[in-house]
Amino acid sequence: MFALSRRSDAGIAPARGGIDLPPSYFGAGLRVRGVLEIEGELTIQGFVAGRIAALKLIIAAGGRVEGDIVAREVVIAGNLNGRVFAPSVTVEESAHIEGRIFHNAITVARGAHFDGRMPWRPIVFFETLDQLPETQP
Amino acid sequence: MTIFNRNDNKPADSKPSAIDALQTPKPADQPRPQATAQPLSPPAKTGASMASVISKALKITGQLESTEDIQIDGEIDGDVRGVGVKIGNNAKVKGTVYGDEVELAGTIDGRIEAKKVILTGTARMSGDVSHQDIKIESGAFIDGNLKPDFGKTTGSKPAVAPFKPVAAVASSTPDKSADARH
Repeated sequence: MFALSRRSDAGIAPARGGIDLPPSYFGAGLRVRGVLEIEGELTIQGFVAGRIAALKLIIAAGGRVEGDIVAREVVIAGNLNGRVFAPSVTVEESAHIEGRIFHNAITVARGAHFDGRMPWRPIVFFETLDQLPETQP
Repeated sequence: MTIFNRNDNKPADSKPSAIDALQTPKPADQPRPQATAQPLSPPAKTGASMASVISKALKITGQLESTEDIQIDGEIDGDVRGVGVKIGNNAKVKGTVYGDEVELAGTIDGRIEAKKVILTGTARMSGDVSHQDIKIESGAFIDGNLKPDFGKTTGSKPAVAPFKPVAAVASSTPDKSADARH
């Protein structure tokens, strides 16, 4: 479910190249609770509690996510409480993050509020990510 | 032995200089290193006041609540609450759809509770419809009862239920992995 299957696309190639489906957008008034699976791009300006699997995920400024995210590319400019599993991660300066970011390449803008760890993992880790690791104390 | 001492002898001058270097912006104002080949565009800009769009690539198992309009083209297993809810041609919803105005062109397996209901020619509705005002186009499939009792029922729920506080929403998440992840 979570494995990023297409080896050639992972990491190096910009994820947008592989996205031909129309992007989804969660407006500021939208609250979602549950499991989300997207074969494309999702922009969140509202609130999501649950697990998200996407190709590309953007948490816009003002957006809030509580839960685990698995994606090929993640851009965080909003609020996140949870874990991220993505080869490519960008943390904007307006971000407020508590949790862990498992990444292969990361950009953290100056001014971003980040409380947690960001462990590096090889690309293979993301390709074979069938089950999310248990949370550790 | 000196290897263990490191620079502990002179912390006074090393620290401030490091901070100075951080705080004075470099004259060249170099581009930030990026994780991808994409430019760091502000992603929030696109459609700040746009209604929410759930595209056909999206599958949600859970609940949606919105104070705005929602366009659904994907698949939802759960309840939807919105103001104006448009369910597109290939969309599927399994659950109850609440709203002021619900326009269905896809499939609902569940209920509709809305003030105004529009079932287009491609609609497939399996379940009851509670409405005040309904429009059914030729070709729509309905398997269920139509009752013009929206707003008159004993419960008389508002179309959009008041949101629970964020903490309550988060704590009632069925997903156990959402807790204690540090």
